[in-house]
Amino acid sequence: MINTTLFKKEIKSNYILLLIFSAVLTVYGSMIVAMFEPKMSESLKAMADSMPEIFAAFGMTDVGTTLMDFVTGYLYNMLYIAFPCVFLIILANRLVAKYVDNGSMAYILAVPEKRRKIVITQAVFLVCCLFIMVAYITGLILFVSHLMFPKELNTAEFLRVNVGLLGVLVFIGGACFLFSCLFNETRLSTGIGTGIVVYSILAQMLARVGDKFEALKYATPLTLYDVEGLIAMERNAWICCAVLYACGLLFLAVGCTAFSKRNLPI
Amino acid sequence: MTNHIEIDHITKDYGQGRGVFDITFQVQKGETLGFLGPNGAGKTTTIRQLMGFIKPDSGSVSILGKDCFKEADFIEKSLGYLPGEIAFIDSMSGIEFIRFIAKMKKMKGLGRAESLMEKFELNPSGKIKKMSKGMKQKIGIVCAFMQDPEILILDEPTSGLDPLMQNQFIDLLLQEKKRGKTILMSSHIFEEVEKTCDRAAIIREGRLVAVEDMEKLKSGRKKIVELHLADENMAASFAREIAGSKVTGRSVSANVGLDMDEFIKKAGAYTVVDLNVRTQSLEEFFLHFYGGQNND
Repeated sequence: MINTTLFKKEIKSNYILLLIFSAVLTVYGSMIVAMFEPKMSESLKAMADSMPEIFAAFGMTDVGTTLMDFVTGYLYNMLYIAFPCVFLIILANRLVAKYVDNGSMAYILAVPEKRRKIVITQAVFLVCCLFIMVAYITGLILFVSHLMFPKELNTAEFLRVNVGLLGVLVFIGGACFLFSCLFNETRLSTGIGTGIVVYSILAQMLARVGDKFEALKYATPLTLYDVEGLIAMERNAWICCAVLYACGLLFLAVGCTAFSKRNLPI
Repeated sequence: MTNHIEIDHITKDYGQGRGVFDITFQVQKGETLGFLGPNGAGKTTTIRQLMGFIKPDSGSVSILGKDCFKEADFIEKSLGYLPGEIAFIDSMSGIEFIRFIAKMKKMKGLGRAESLMEKFELNPSGKIKKMSKGMKQKIGIVCAFMQDPEILILDEPTSGLDPLMQNQFIDLLLQEKKRGKTILMSSHIFEEVEKTCDRAAIIREGRLVAVEDMEKLKSGRKKIVELHLADENMAASFAREIAGSKVTGRSVSANVGLDMDEFIKKAGAYTVVDLNVRTQSLEEFFLHFYGGQNND
């Protein structure tokens, strides 16, 4: 199904990138968990009440008093989406467009292997990285939470939140990968990928701020990630989550097909 | 003879007169064909279609009877390719890259890479990023030849190599030719094609000008010989003997083709102080060889 030589090469070339981003997520994740203290979240709540718009923009409204509310409110509404998205923009570009841009794709394709298999290898690599990243942060936060506040965090609920996060990242990763497959230049591939990420996040921030822009929530894919809904096992939340996965995988498939069929200036 | 490479009326139009238009030629099994043309004539565009990187707008390209785009993976089993643009994965060292490509080609071990590195005096241990153009080109050559493929497609293979290494390369090509390889080599330098190829396809501004036997092309290629004689009278009288020659002071210059022997013997009657020989540039050659048809 995939070319193992190329897959191994990508592991070698990209593990450092994955490590760096995981390290950043580790720092933020453990800091937020460590900051949790029912009393302190009350004072934070007081702060939130004093400037509701700003806190709302970052999805930090109604941050409740449980550890779950705290972690999802401060991490899963913004940080744990934005940082991995930066990782995705870089990685997706590296996996396809960069090789085309600098011409080394000529060597990678001048081998007895279907072009489709080469590009599928890259797509699988991207999804594997995402899976590892989300699995890691899930494990990390569960570990830190149980260590510091035993039995505060419901494992099953928290797993559902992360299944949703993986869905968001598969969606964004798929989109970035698609552009990486479509364009000959790194500039365009990363540019459009960045544009989509920034737009999605900004639109969500605006939609959260107030009634005026509430309609914007229908214009950003991030709305499909319904953290509270997933925790509460709502049917709609699961459907939205499935849509994220389906679209992400569709983008990946379209990217692979487009790359297999298009003309390459190498 | 069977054709290993077939290019059948391909057109790839990039607009503004760029691209290739209605190109047709074949490379037979065991033949070395030079693909000759000035920079930007469409050599690389043609080769990209052979490699299955781009599809022709019309016409078809096949290698070993298989479509170059759809069945590239089949063709690659017996193909060695040297890209015209040097581009590797910068973060790797030379040897890492060679190993990587060998594995991608599903080779067991490194094949002929060792002996090729020796032949080209290549030390591939450093990072590719820091290598000179010539060293990078050598890595490309090793990658193209190491698998000992039946067919070789080489895009300007000697660019970046110093004269000594260019000769090594020509040596290698002649060896491969003897071993029955089918070779398509693009170049803008007549001499390297002259030394190695049986036939040459000549392309200019995206159109095929001719596909000719090397012998015929050689005969059409003239040398510009410049003689410095002892005095001006001698120069003037020598110039009268040679049709189409030009006199400037004591020197006489003339285009000499197959009549070289006659020219030298005539010159023997005079006191020759100095002699310069220059071969026609590719452009001069085209103008001369196809002067009748391309006087526009």
